[in-house]
Amino acid sequence: MLKLLVSRFFYACVIILGVVLVVSSLVKLVPGDPVDVIAAGNPGMSVADMDRLRERMGLTRSIPEQFASYLGHAVQGDMGTSIRQGVPVTKLIAERLPATAELAFWALVLAFIFAIPLGIATALKRGSWLDYTGTFIAVLGVSTPGFLLAVLMILWFSIELRWLPASGYRGSALLAVGKAVVEGKFSVFWNAFRYFILPAISLAFVLIAVNARVIRSAMLEVLQQDFITFATAKGVPRLRIVLRHALRNALLPVVTLAGLQMGALLSGTVVIETVFAWPGIGRLAVDSIHVRDYPIIQAVVLVSAVLFIVLNLTVDILYRFIDPRVRDD
Amino acid sequence: MTDIATIPIGTQGTEPAAKQERSFLSSLGRSAKGLTGLFLIMLVVACALFARQIVPYDHAQQVIEWRYAPTAWQAGGSTRNLLGGDNMGRDIFSRTIMGAQISVQVALIVVSIALVIGSVLGALAGYFGGWIDTLIMRAVDFQLAFPFLLLALIFMAVLGPGFATLVMALSFALWINFARIVRSETMRIRKLDYVDAAITMGVSQLRIIATHVLPNVLPAVLVMATLDIALVIISEASLSFLGLGVQPPTASWGVMIAEGRDFLYDQPWIVIAPGIAVLISSVGINLFGDFLRDYFDPRLERM
Repeated sequence: MLKLLVSRFFYACVIILGVVLVVSSLVKLVPGDPVDVIAAGNPGMSVADMDRLRERMGLTRSIPEQFASYLGHAVQGDMGTSIRQGVPVTKLIAERLPATAELAFWALVLAFIFAIPLGIATALKRGSWLDYTGTFIAVLGVSTPGFLLAVLMILWFSIELRWLPASGYRGSALLAVGKAVVEGKFSVFWNAFRYFILPAISLAFVLIAVNARVIRSAMLEVLQQDFITFATAKGVPRLRIVLRHALRNALLPVVTLAGLQMGALLSGTVVIETVFAWPGIGRLAVDSIHVRDYPIIQAVVLVSAVLFIVLNLTVDILYRFIDPRVRDD
Repeated sequence: MTDIATIPIGTQGTEPAAKQERSFLSSLGRSAKGLTGLFLIMLVVACALFARQIVPYDHAQQVIEWRYAPTAWQAGGSTRNLLGGDNMGRDIFSRTIMGAQISVQVALIVVSIALVIGSVLGALAGYFGGWIDTLIMRAVDFQLAFPFLLLALIFMAVLGPGFATLVMALSFALWINFARIVRSETMRIRKLDYVDAAITMGVSQLRIIATHVLPNVLPAVLVMATLDIALVIISEASLSFLGLGVQPPTASWGVMIAEGRDFLYDQPWIVIAPGIAVLISSVGINLFGDFLRDYFDPRLERM
């Protein structure tokens, strides 16, 4: 087990080094001179400014030198300075990462709140109208682009019904949970949380569809097994069998998918944050591509990739603890 | 909107078509899913093929009186602009039809490139194993460290947004799907007795791959290609929506939705027509892809 952990950890480190190599040489891959491109958009730049920028972006160094220097700085938490805003990139990312992380968190919560009952119900009532509705939702879920769902929900819930805000972010809802519980100020929580609802549903819809299907098929398989028949024969109540015996096993395949779904969430936030004017790293990336602020793009790619790798590693290890059957492969 | 759309669709172990009890057409005839999917796909493909003949106006033509014109069935609307006019006085019906052409074009180009490159590399890795396999699969593993859209963003950052970058980025993001599926299928088939027999008989490697391996891998690749077409259409729309894909004034559905977003309050129809068009295409393809998967691999039918 320990040997496996060490080898997985080592492997993740190698991949991260590869990511740093790609990220650090990114500006060199730009056809022509990226500084000329930037200067074309800023008529005020002098030749001396351009030379300084070339120096700062590492265009004067070779790829190995650039790699070593980027890695050395990044390890110390320095990912360069934004070309447009003149602010350290690490600061920009640190300001915006919490908003993205919390959005992804609520999306995951919503995904499970809806997917678990839907998965169980469609498995128990197989072939009923409920099951067909589930199939319909599943197809719709994988077919609807997040941004389209977002725009349609804004149209309905914000413009027609005026229930929820169409865009914006009013601070963390998670931090407000404490306040709501301790001081009884539910309105504090709600004022922050209502801004999360539409973007989180836009992100979660595809996950609800996929997870509900996976839980359904896993439930169908588990319910046919001997220990379920035995529990039924023993007189264990049906509800207890479904929730305690079957669901616990049926959730395992969902855990396997959790790592990949983090990737879907990270990709999704790029689009959804733009729709809802959400101050997260996804929108930061898109804005930076439009104005060619390379240090920010490099940092967002690096941070997202490292997050994704670390989360996948965690899921991989957790899974071995949850399901002892996969321990020795 | 990433490749998680393909997760429950692990098409492992497809047996040769000889085992099928029903013919393809009669299975299709019995499947509501397959027929609906095929109908929607044909609708979109017909729009794309005959776009020039269908559209009443040029998609870029701007007429001042058409600005914010409502749809034909709304008060003040007329059959002149069936689906209304947009903020720049362009006919939304014409633009939506032309959008089908862009979507179908991008999807076919991207999936063809990804399919050819991915299948060839996957077949090489699976058939020969050894260092070729290690090299190709390490590349795949490395690429999996990047979330789908992030990979596309790297391309946009390096090459600048545009049609060519979009096609390259999406092809690059998708080849691994084909490589993985073809590799595992090839490895399975490679171990079968009749392949061993062919080798013993002195049949050339190339001939074995062409006559024994490829035909057996084909069903799995077909299913993957179909589902990936939906993924590409969604991704193209998303990236164009962000301003990173197809550039205005080209009528891409993503671009149309992005442009119409500012007018949601008063002219929601600018967004609705292209939105429904995206849904029709992706729902159609996913339904048909589901049917194909069930047909080729009945063991997965319970999904």
